[in-house]
Amino acid sequence: MLSPYTVLDLSDDRGEMASMILGDLGANVVKVEPPYGSSSRRMGPFLEDAPEPENSLQFFAFNRNKRGVTLDVTTKAGRAALLRLAEKADFVIESAGPGEMAKLGLGFDAFEKANPSIIYVAISAFGQDGPQADYAASDLTLAAMGGPMSVQGNPERAPVRLSVPQAWLHASSEAAVAALTAHALMIQTGQGQFVDVSAQTSMIATMLHARLAHAIQGSDMERAGSVLQAGAIELPLVHECADGYVVLIPTGATMTGMVPWMVEDGIVPEEWIEGEDWATYDRRFLQQQPVVYALEDVFDAIRRYVLLHTKAEMLDRGLRDNVTIAPINTVEDLTKFHQLEERGYWLMAPLPDGTDTAVAGILAQLSETPLDVKRWAPKLGQHNHEILIEMLGMSEAQAIEGGATVPQE
Amino acid sequence: MTTTLPFDGIKVADFAWIWAAPTTSKYFADHGATVVRVETESPPDLVRTVGPFKDGEPGTNRSHSFGDFNTSKYSLSLDLKNPQGANVARRLIGWADIVIESFATGKMDDLGIGYETVKKLNPSVIMVSTSLMGQTGLASTYAGFGFHAGAIAGFYEITGWPDLPPDGPFTAYTDGVAPRFLAAIMMAALDHRRRTGEGQFIDASQLEMSLQMLAPQIIDYNASGRMVSRIGNRSRIAAPQGAYQCSGEDQWCAIAVETDEDWANLRSAMGKPTWANDDRFSTTEGRLSSHDEIDKGISQWTADKSPQDVMEILQVAGVPAGVVQRSSDLMRDPQLKHRKFFRELEHSEVGNVPYTGHQFRIKGYDNGPRFAAPMLGEHNDFVLRDLLGMTDDEITEIAISGALV
Repeated sequence: MLSPYTVLDLSDDRGEMASMILGDLGANVVKVEPPYGSSSRRMGPFLEDAPEPENSLQFFAFNRNKRGVTLDVTTKAGRAALLRLAEKADFVIESAGPGEMAKLGLGFDAFEKANPSIIYVAISAFGQDGPQADYAASDLTLAAMGGPMSVQGNPERAPVRLSVPQAWLHASSEAAVAALTAHALMIQTGQGQFVDVSAQTSMIATMLHARLAHAIQGSDMERAGSVLQAGAIELPLVHECADGYVVLIPTGATMTGMVPWMVEDGIVPEEWIEGEDWATYDRRFLQQQPVVYALEDVFDAIRRYVLLHTKAEMLDRGLRDNVTIAPINTVEDLTKFHQLEERGYWLMAPLPDGTDTAVAGILAQLSETPLDVKRWAPKLGQHNHEILIEMLGMSEAQAIEGGATVPQE
Repeated sequence: MTTTLPFDGIKVADFAWIWAAPTTSKYFADHGATVVRVETESPPDLVRTVGPFKDGEPGTNRSHSFGDFNTSKYSLSLDLKNPQGANVARRLIGWADIVIESFATGKMDDLGIGYETVKKLNPSVIMVSTSLMGQTGLASTYAGFGFHAGAIAGFYEITGWPDLPPDGPFTAYTDGVAPRFLAAIMMAALDHRRRTGEGQFIDASQLEMSLQMLAPQIIDYNASGRMVSRIGNRSRIAAPQGAYQCSGEDQWCAIAVETDEDWANLRSAMGKPTWANDDRFSTTEGRLSSHDEIDKGISQWTADKSPQDVMEILQVAGVPAGVVQRSSDLMRDPQLKHRKFFRELEHSEVGNVPYTGHQFRIKGYDNGPRFAAPMLGEHNDFVLRDLLGMTDDEITEIAISGALV
């Protein structure tokens, strides 16, 4: 879909998913790394636990559908080569932090001069300017300052984040939307655009209906462990089962299917099946209208039933009987979920060590312009020759001067 | 400052509900598209029935669980099971450039407006069906929420404390993840259509899109059998990291030491206490293995300071630190004020209320939500008359049939 467009990805671990999304949607993405490689090449997990630049699974996961070059933009030759690439590009994405690119002479102005219709997307922790723009940030502090931690975790302990870093991925996926929104504007006005993406605000979005709670209702929402706060009603979401935990709430459809299971196991008497209009049970308890069986008794029955059965067993039976039970999956459980296999989700990728491994697949299924992965993450400088020498017409000496330390055929 | 909007002239028929799909169509609405949200009184979108409600008073038009996710849209109340209602839906589909829906798989077919019909009514339309599990496969009819998808994807397993059952992320995590992927896909499809005239069908699974957020961990398991689980606020590669309790009621500041230099700076900022002057703490490995001991020392230092003070002292020293902010703190956040992040807009029933703004700013364009969320059915007349060009007689007939509820 985006095949007419070229994206220059100047970002590091804080922005690489943005251009991956554009690449997945068909754009021609050139990843520009410093000669020592993107920061993500030094981030784990690493293949074989060996922290080598070509072994980073962080880099491998978020740099597919890109070709890679190395340029040293602290040199004049490196900057010149980059701006020549920009002449042929439609988008530039960077995550260096406020003002950092401008210090190198590579701010929006320089790119706009090289290409007046360029879309320049800058990803940063708090935005390009403002009283806290230069604050030091990490995944944890962004989860704190963006708000989601205040509503996450057991109330008896500290607020928690997700223990796999997420903040820069939220910001990066938002940056892909930002880039295409600005591009839609450029199509109409012909003018290049500078786009300023804030990771902090992208975390606020994940706070969902809690983000404006105080301004609207006069009180904040607070962390409540795994309890779902639905207005005045609190619903425990996580229940221990025979081999782990499941997430389950008593919606109308779920109770309609599940009460007979509970009768079968002797958890509740048979009269429960006809004793309640289960299909409307949830709407009534949410609006605090009369119900036959109290919510706490229903949860007690659910708890006792669930303890006797395994995650996989309940998921499969639930799929047959319209009962919505979600196993709390480990990565291993996830890889066994038949739905993903059935839809052909997993893709086989050749890892840098020569083995083939299943990886997260395409973003969605499109009827006329199916998405695919045309290439996996580039090795450091893999396309230096193709792009710098063949495409830009640089000599090998010029390429080396510009930071392309290992021009490859 | 340009007054041209990115999606000027784009028309969206929005059959979405709850959070994920409405957030997706909101990107188009806030940036200039004409988006008609189709909903009904019987029953209303579930998020209209849960809070936060304006001033704590329940009411169909008072919920910000609906409001903050549906700015800049027009609301048409329509009973799709009423034959006249179904006719209006077909007119709307014929009018639209994009049709988006997030019903249970198969429901649009049952209503007579599945993709095959939609394509006949409007050959170049982009139709988006989004659900937890996608439109095909045994689990395609799985009728769950974002917390179900969050559990299946693996986000629950990694959120909480290692010695306790998982807490999981706040509410419906994947509802906050999927809209960005889907909006980007739709914008690309729209650009393709602008250039080629070709529309298409998009089958988007919330689970599949969300798994990109765990992509390295999935490869790591497949390649080495290693699995991630919840570790509170700690990092696997750096220490100390955590949320530390401060003075005041349930007040916390997050601190994340990522390098030896950060540790040295933290130690200085704390006034070089003797406990911290331990050789074992000079390396990442040493700090990782003494995390409990270090946490105790940091907590003693933070206990008598406000989280704001802890953050400011550490930021001066260059150490990543941030207050754990509640919604009330966000309203006072100086950086968000500087970005004009929250926007007050006049809602027809609840009056002037704040809405969250955009996570990105385009220079020279004051982007933010354009107008407040609609009341249920607020724009019936506008949609039927001005957008679909119906006559008074037609509108009266539809109203009499009972379809506009």
